[in-house]
Amino acid sequence: MAKRIGKAVTYLLLTCIGYIYLEPIFQMISRALMSSADVINPSIEWLARNPTLNNFRVAAKVLKIPGSLINSMGFSALLALLQTFVAAMTGYGLSRFRFRGKNFWFVMILLAFILPTALLMIPRLIIFILAQQATGIQFLGTPIPQVLMAVLGQGVNSTILILICWNFFNLVPYSLDEAAMIDGAGPLQTFYHIAVKLSVSTVLIVFLFAFVWNWNETYQTSTFLGGSMDLLPAKLSVFDSQFEGIANAGVGSTSNFKINEAYKMAATLISIAPLLVLYGFVQKQFIQGIENTGITGE
Amino acid sequence: MSQKKKLRKTKSFQRRQDKYGYLFMMPWILGFLVFTLIPFVMTIYLSFTEVKQDIRGFNIAFTGIYNYRQLFLVNTDFTPALVSFLGMIVPYTLVVVIMSFILAMLLNSIVRGKAVYRTIYFLPVVVLSGPVMYQLMNLTPQVEGQVNELYHSFLIRMIQSYSPQAAAAMVSLFDNLSVILWFTGIPIVLFINGLQKINPSLYEAARIDSATSWQLLWKITMPIIRPTALIVTVFTIVQLGGMDTINPVLVMIKERTANTSGGFGYAATISWIYSLIVLLIIGAAFVLFRERKIKETHKYW
Repeated sequence: MAKRIGKAVTYLLLTCIGYIYLEPIFQMISRALMSSADVINPSIEWLARNPTLNNFRVAAKVLKIPGSLINSMGFSALLALLQTFVAAMTGYGLSRFRFRGKNFWFVMILLAFILPTALLMIPRLIIFILAQQATGIQFLGTPIPQVLMAVLGQGVNSTILILICWNFFNLVPYSLDEAAMIDGAGPLQTFYHIAVKLSVSTVLIVFLFAFVWNWNETYQTSTFLGGSMDLLPAKLSVFDSQFEGIANAGVGSTSNFKINEAYKMAATLISIAPLLVLYGFVQKQFIQGIENTGITGE
Repeated sequence: MSQKKKLRKTKSFQRRQDKYGYLFMMPWILGFLVFTLIPFVMTIYLSFTEVKQDIRGFNIAFTGIYNYRQLFLVNTDFTPALVSFLGMIVPYTLVVVIMSFILAMLLNSIVRGKAVYRTIYFLPVVVLSGPVMYQLMNLTPQVEGQVNELYHSFLIRMIQSYSPQAAAAMVSLFDNLSVILWFTGIPIVLFINGLQKINPSLYEAARIDSATSWQLLWKITMPIIRPTALIVTVFTIVQLGGMDTINPVLVMIKERTANTSGGFGYAATISWIYSLIVLLIIGAAFVLFRERKIKETHKYW
């Protein structure tokens, strides 16, 4: 009996806390549907009296949908692809070869995660400005800096991606590599045909994480890319200031749109919708990906 | 003779390992040198200089500790920003680590519905970003007075009379509880993973010796989970620190960095001091969770 009560309490707690987790999202949905009259009506807490989808229409216009959506997807996918490739290579190198200085580099990989990005931003910026002057190619305001950093394994949360790969490759039996090498495969061929092909699911997880993290990263993006490309999270961060000009211009000067919570929440909801859809499809893989980092001490 | 041959063989083996190992590590090592190590050293150097940019390039003048003196003695924004950063990172990290541990324990104790709850708790990991957090944290409550009630509650007022800062920190903690909990997604999974690796026979043996659940928690679970807790703590500090929505120092650095016409040296000083403090906090976490020596009596369980 006591056991059963304990279990009921556990479920109750989990459900309540689960509600706290989802509350911001419920809030977003509830607010986004409210008309401007509902927003200022204090008697309405959750359910809009005059639900409207107009907020989404206006918010999408301010966020520059679909351009920014396509840009964000393309940009995040490109960076994620490069990051995944480098993470897989580095993870394979760490997992397969007993080269000298390996432990040192492993510690450096962990250290790279701990160092605050803010510490590295100014020199990185200076390096890119100098490179710009030396080569005459425009770096800043283009995706090149972030692409370069992704190619060289210094993208967002690269360390975690490397750890996921490293841990998975540790599980692939070494005899498979040997078999391939006996058949005349070089290290790069072995890497591709054995390690990568066997771990397509892991590589996919790494790609998804990199995609989401690149999507949500705004600090480096705002510094290196600036406003030269419309990206969804960046547009959301300037939503409040851009709202009135764009919204009024689009609908005509007679109507006067005032920014309110409903528009903001509609915009927020739009900006996370692609990620929510993605999560809906592959949530299990996401959770397994973190379980597979192996950083919990084996 | 044969031994010499063998030695040569291991040598060539080692050489091949080195060659292939570094072949695969090359991109990362190169990136680390160019985009992490050199910037790291450069920031420290720049913090003692004044950087001016003109058409010909950068003009770097060594100014000694001028920036530091400016920062601590003249600039009136920095110290308060730093204090409010500390007032954010310490309690927020504590809440995230403790809550994720409790949730992991709860999730580990149930069988049915586990996947559903895990999906809910992990969801924020996917959608959490600075702008989203900003919009959510600045959302005014639909019903007025929800926040005010908290401000005037007895407990908060009691704390306020001792230390207004602590009270403010607590109010912000409760105000933003949902968004703070959003940082627990990955820590929960890490903790569950750690908990599942504990050998159940340890608990069984202790129970036969009539240990209570409380004792099981403190004598078995906690010591074994400590390395995981360290990783979770460090991860949380890094994640929270990187959010400019809740980190005023980051905003300061960002503003100074965006100003390319100069002030890089000063920005470097700010980011260096800030990073030093973050690294000290992480160091403190290491000390807190370090492996403790097993006492003599515990050796022969």
